[in-house]
Amino acid sequence: MSNNTFRGIDFSRYQRWLNRAVGAEAAFMVFDKAGIPLWGQDTPQAIELGLAIAAAGTDAAGPHRHDLDAGRTALYQTLGNSNIGQLGWLAVMVDHFGKQDAPVHIDQLAETMDDLAAGISDEYRYKDDLDAMAEELGERYEELHLIYSIDQHSHGQTEQDDKMFQSLLQSTAEHLNVDIVAFVKPSRDICLYSTSLSREIPNLDLVLVEMRGDLFRFVQSSGETAILNTPDDSRRVYIFTDMPYKVIASPIRSNGRVDAMVVLLNHAHKPDFTNADRKLAEVLANQLSHLSNTYLLLQSMGEFNQQFAKSLIEAVEAKDPYTRGHSERVHFLSMEIGRAMGLPADELDDLFWGSLLHDVGKIGIPDAVLCKPGRLTQDERTFINVHPERSYEILRHIKHLERAVLGARHHQEMYDGKGYPHGLKGERIPLHGRIIAVPDTYDSITSSRAYRAGRSHEVAMREIERVSGTQLDPAIVKVFRELVAAEPEWLQRFNIRREKD
Amino acid sequence: MKRILIVDDEPHITRVLKLYLERAGYAVDAAQNGRAALDDILKSAPDALMTDIQMPIMTGKQLCLAIEEQLPQRTFPIFVMTSMTDREHREWTQKIDNLEFLEKPLSMRAMTRALDKYFGIAETDRGACHV
Repeated sequence: MSNNTFRGIDFSRYQRWLNRAVGAEAAFMVFDKAGIPLWGQDTPQAIELGLAIAAAGTDAAGPHRHDLDAGRTALYQTLGNSNIGQLGWLAVMVDHFGKQDAPVHIDQLAETMDDLAAGISDEYRYKDDLDAMAEELGERYEELHLIYSIDQHSHGQTEQDDKMFQSLLQSTAEHLNVDIVAFVKPSRDICLYSTSLSREIPNLDLVLVEMRGDLFRFVQSSGETAILNTPDDSRRVYIFTDMPYKVIASPIRSNGRVDAMVVLLNHAHKPDFTNADRKLAEVLANQLSHLSNTYLLLQSMGEFNQQFAKSLIEAVEAKDPYTRGHSERVHFLSMEIGRAMGLPADELDDLFWGSLLHDVGKIGIPDAVLCKPGRLTQDERTFINVHPERSYEILRHIKHLERAVLGARHHQEMYDGKGYPHGLKGERIPLHGRIIAVPDTYDSITSSRAYRAGRSHEVAMREIERVSGTQLDPAIVKVFRELVAAEPEWLQRFNIRREKD
Repeated sequence: MKRILIVDDEPHITRVLKLYLERAGYAVDAAQNGRAALDDILKSAPDALMTDIQMPIMTGKQLCLAIEEQLPQRTFPIFVMTSMTDREHREWTQKIDNLEFLEKPLSMRAMTRALDKYFGIAETDRGACHV
């Protein structure tokens, strides 16, 4: 390190200054603390002189005198000052020291050496300070780089948060070049991790168990980032009983108490974790803490929405026990169709809610009509026919469902324009309405009703094919046909009768 | 020792890069703009070139295109330092072989790893130099 700094100093300039000051070519040398010549190695006896000076080990400024053979004398002076400590020495070789015919005036030489030593020491110190600042700056860049890349990962990715977390941990593991990066939150039973292994970790499962158990409790109680590098660190008694990994574990607080942590793990052959690594772990912990809070909040909002929707559906189904599960099944099959059609994520979200809530309007239909076995009168049919419009009226107040509600409103339109509520035709029927109509038809045939038992899958498919192009969109029927041709698991799960039984 | 030529008009960036690269065992020269870098390269090709884009006199883009034209047989890699948010403005590099991006704010770890990987230096060879 110190020699690196010396290497950046242009000693030839000091040599020229000395020559000018003493009016002759002076034998000028600079030595490091060990007496190794850094400048003027070619001067005869330089190496011998360096060793002798280092052996004398003086730290008084000087100049000091050291006599060499052949009538030569060296004057030397310490390099360094109270700020940086002693760095080494500079020396000048003089012939005929103190004699009348000495080419160099001794007082003038001593003053010049003093100035040169001060100049070199200052330059060394400035370079050293600059390097320290550059190093600090490099670490800040590193932190910024990490924060930017976390930011990039978390941008607009609320759809699949666990995947986002995973890819974030992966890129962090690679960027920091650590074997394991983990985010641990035992209260939620979360232990997400990613690896960038320099060598295999055969007992990874065990390591993860210890991580979320003992290591977490240790970090939780200390409340501070822990760095364990050496295998004989006394704290290892509490954690990682016989696992020789290098560890950084950084706590994450919420509401003042530690409820999660970030762990970086390295194999023993890797370099020790440094303070710079600690800072990065803490930056990561901070960012992940924000992200995980947002993620959990979104998750609980999502749960709330679904539970609320479920309650609404139960209110509908309570009116007609025979339709129990209808909304869920139509919802499930609509989503299967939507995914098979490759709808983008935001459209799938609309289809999700539209199909789930498509029958909410049935709340407004009198029980006597809804549950009536046998044929309906014209008036009763009118009641049934307005239910999609009712669904729309109920749901339109919910801003988030603005587009989803289209599917619910138009699921009883017919492809030939003879449906309701608006008698829309073909492509003018909103796509989600055309999608929901297919599984709605399918489920109404295969499930049991007040007036009849559920019929078989084959009957339903024949009926769907029959009305394809009049009642249903042939393109959607085609997608559904292909889906069921693969004999999907839900045929059994929904207890759908088959002709062969 | 591999010689890396850094081209950047911001001295604080150059200084940081130089410090970390020298510590990682590379010899480092610096130029303040594309023009100075091109002169240096035509005199003696470096083992790797790391250049910023926005610079006075001659930009990084102009430098890369000039190298493509004047040194079609170039063998050394070019690393272009560019902002993470500037992903759209990279098409001009598509026709240039042996060119990679380093994203600003620069990660010194990512940078030394990219160079080590290019020169086939294993991390374990470095040992104590970890910064």
